[in-house]
Amino acid sequence: MNFLFVNNDWISILPELFLVICVNIILVYSVIYCTSSLFDFPLLVNNVSWLSIQILIIVFFLNINNYCCNVIIFNNSIIIDSFGILIKSFVLVSAICILLMSLKYNRFELINNFEFSILIMLTILGSLLLISSYDLVTMYLAIELQSFCSYILSALKRNSEFSTEAGLKYFILGAFSSGFLLFGCSLIYGFTGATNYEQLALLLVGVDHSYINNNGIIIGTVFIIISFLFKFSAAPFHLWAPDIYEGSPTIVTAFFAIVPKIGLLVFFLRLFFDSLYTLFIPWQAILLIASVSSMIVGSLGAIWQIKLKRLLAFSAIGHVGYMLIALCCCSIESIYALIFYSIIYIMMSISSFSLLLMIRKNENLKKIKYIEDLTIVAKTNPFIGVCFAITFFSIAGIPPLAGFFSKMFLFFSAISQSAYFLSIVGILTSVISCFYYLRIVQVAYFEQQSSWITLKKVDKEISVLISTITLMLIIFFVHPNFLIIFIHNSILDLCI
Amino acid sequence: MLSLLIILPIIGIFFILVIPEYKTSLIKQVALLTSIFTFVFSLFLWIFFDNSSSKFQYIEHFDWMSLFNIHFFLGVDGISLFFIILSTFLVFICILNSWTSIKKYLKKYYICFLLMNSFLIIVFSVLDVVIFYIFFESILIPMFLVIGVWGSRTRKLKAAYQFFLYTLIGSLFMLLAIFYMFFETGTTDFQILNTLVFSEKEELILWLAFFVSFSVKVPMVPVHIWLPEAHVEAPTSGSVILAGILLKMGTYGLLRFSLSLFPYASIYFTPLVYTLSIIAVIYTSLTTLRQIDLKKIIAYSSVAHMAFVTIGIFTFNLYGVQGSLLIMLSHGFISSALFLCVGVLYDRHHTRLIKYYSGLTQVMPLYSFFFVFFSMANLGFPGTSSFAGEFLTLVGSFHSNTVVTFLASTGMILGACYSLWLCNRVLFGPLTVNYITQYTDINSRELAVLTPLLFCTLWMGIYPEIFLEPMHLSVSNLLQKI
Repeated sequence: MNFLFVNNDWISILPELFLVICVNIILVYSVIYCTSSLFDFPLLVNNVSWLSIQILIIVFFLNINNYCCNVIIFNNSIIIDSFGILIKSFVLVSAICILLMSLKYNRFELINNFEFSILIMLTILGSLLLISSYDLVTMYLAIELQSFCSYILSALKRNSEFSTEAGLKYFILGAFSSGFLLFGCSLIYGFTGATNYEQLALLLVGVDHSYINNNGIIIGTVFIIISFLFKFSAAPFHLWAPDIYEGSPTIVTAFFAIVPKIGLLVFFLRLFFDSLYTLFIPWQAILLIASVSSMIVGSLGAIWQIKLKRLLAFSAIGHVGYMLIALCCCSIESIYALIFYSIIYIMMSISSFSLLLMIRKNENLKKIKYIEDLTIVAKTNPFIGVCFAITFFSIAGIPPLAGFFSKMFLFFSAISQSAYFLSIVGILTSVISCFYYLRIVQVAYFEQQSSWITLKKVDKEISVLISTITLMLIIFFVHPNFLIIFIHNSILDLCI
Repeated sequence: MLSLLIILPIIGIFFILVIPEYKTSLIKQVALLTSIFTFVFSLFLWIFFDNSSSKFQYIEHFDWMSLFNIHFFLGVDGISLFFIILSTFLVFICILNSWTSIKKYLKKYYICFLLMNSFLIIVFSVLDVVIFYIFFESILIPMFLVIGVWGSRTRKLKAAYQFFLYTLIGSLFMLLAIFYMFFETGTTDFQILNTLVFSEKEELILWLAFFVSFSVKVPMVPVHIWLPEAHVEAPTSGSVILAGILLKMGTYGLLRFSLSLFPYASIYFTPLVYTLSIIAVIYTSLTTLRQIDLKKIIAYSSVAHMAFVTIGIFTFNLYGVQGSLLIMLSHGFISSALFLCVGVLYDRHHTRLIKYYSGLTQVMPLYSFFFVFFSMANLGFPGTSSFAGEFLTLVGSFHSNTVVTFLASTGMILGACYSLWLCNRVLFGPLTVNYITQYTDINSRELAVLTPLLFCTLWMGIYPEIFLEPMHLSVSNLLQKI
């Protein structure tokens, strides 16, 4: 008897499968339960959030225990390798952190939609599939799943016009870029007749980019890159990012800053480093421009911001620029540096956003919005102040905190590929960006407060989260080998 | 032994962390005790130091980033030995000095200083270029906080930012150069790099990248703007650390890395260094004459003294280099002592402008004694430490370039001008009773802070051999490569 689940294909994507089934079950459960008059229409936000956290933890364990390594399944459309597993586990961990942060946030901001955690889980599902997709069609479907949920998430606060505006803006622009992506894919399909990455790679081996018949492929590649840069909020296509970061609920902003980007990075690595590598001269030039301009926009744009969320949005654009340095260099070291950078970046973003989310004034339970509001934090809550300072010093890339090492590997990979221009621009912009990260420390510590505002007590989950991450940022220096070897092993898998 | 020395202040930090904020005296005592222990422990480095060897001693090796072939490699030779002792000594002085003047964030203040202590020991003892860079840069964080949080006026923001960004922008170029070296050679171990030779073009570019970073820290003239600002706005102890030891990181880096890794480029760029140093000596000495802020005078005079050091380093002979090492040490004592003297006045009257002070000899005799003594030492009076250093430096530079020697010697005259004039204005003349009515002489704590510095200055001036002996072989080993 050939039972369905004995098939290896299904076992290999057990984590995703489990997630899909659980999402459906929870959706049904909550829809039925919250409309039942018998239980007096209960609010299920907390309940569903905790359930989702548990599900994601289980998915995490299923993922890291996936015994099928290095297999290509479902008719060559999905790949499972140790690189993907590593990235997936980071995506899952960061999603768990986001859900932990959302517990109290939803209560204070009166977001009573249990759909929040379900949408987060669906986005995660999209990310997981995107990370392991090995075919243009699978990739497109996964990206769409990820983006559709994001559009809804950004419009989550239905009665705030900012949030609605952000959702609409994101939807229109995102749909536009998805169109580009689809068009690029179809061009490539039209000119090669293949959608599978491996087949594409085989077709393009030894092809010279100046060969006339390849124009269609090159144009397709450019379209895909543009769509990628848009979704990645890199500089010439970055204009949506600050508005949407500002308009969305902060918890969603944190989510946008962290999770979808990792999936996109892996998609880019797989498509461009596996199959379109021979065409790297045209796409490298585009990435170079995007990288330089996003570093400059990110660092200069943030100087004048007075709202913390916008500042973080611009800083995210700057960080994207640094990541693009690594993509430009396209060597093993650069992939290594990229993964390292994104892991440290995830840690720092989780820390900074959770700090942002948890500080609430006692009188009106509002979050702090402006940088100036931080004046009070270091005086009334010294530990939060210290965490703030360490996180932002780390984001600024000051040694010996972990943020420095991420930049260090990046610049090392740039130098080893003789990308001197990129590295000098990167260094100058990182000095400029230091200025506004330091301003946060300055506001927190150097300035005298005019009035005393008391802050609400921080809840336990987030304080554990923040203190863990801060500690990790500090003591990373003592034993960096741990993470380095961990990443190294999985990178080797991708490259060979 | 070195790793223990590095860990000692960190243990102190852990103890301070668990003490509640309101137990102020306990925090101070723990900090002081830690710094004393560290200082005494660092003296053992000197006692057990083998003068008859030019090799690195007390070598320790830890696996750090083995995948990239970067290891935590510690070792001390004659050049770095005294900097370690100087840094532990000055941190001890600083902690004792800020006993009463610091009121807010007491815990963090002492943590910052102990952290700096640890970082400084690593900077001066590490033999790996990447780790050197990391800690060279790390000191920015505590120092930035010291200037910004415990500084006195609102201008401190500008000073803190200038200090941070100037240093950062300079040293990031060094980071690129280090990566280039790492990429070319596959190692960052200083001793291995020392045996390798780069091509001439590479050397020139790498040297420039290193020089940008070190010259900001020294500071050489076009990039010295941050120094007077940072000195003036920092609290007294911050200025002491800044002038006493942080500036020496730049010259130490020049001596240790630029000279021995890029000998060709060092000789090639000697005229540039000489020119900048001469401009620094004359220009800053003249600038000092027209300052009205006591701390700014000392800050500008330290720029002039550090320019002497760079001249001495780039003479490439034994006299010059040893002389510059002596100047570095003596400047560590003298400028710190002068900043402490200014701090004494500032703690009492909360102003540093010269015009409010006059005729202090009549009411503060003991203070005046110290002030006159250290001013004399600052101008290079025979019998004090800076005379020994400046004399050796000038002898050394006479060997290589007489014009430079001549121009540098004018700096000594100008130094005498501003030091004596400063003494004249502050200590002598009629007592100003219009602004300040109550005067008190220095108390026993301040006496305890200043006396060891006076003792060291005299000791080094009268018998400098004891300092020259350990550094002799290391310096000649360094110069052999050039």
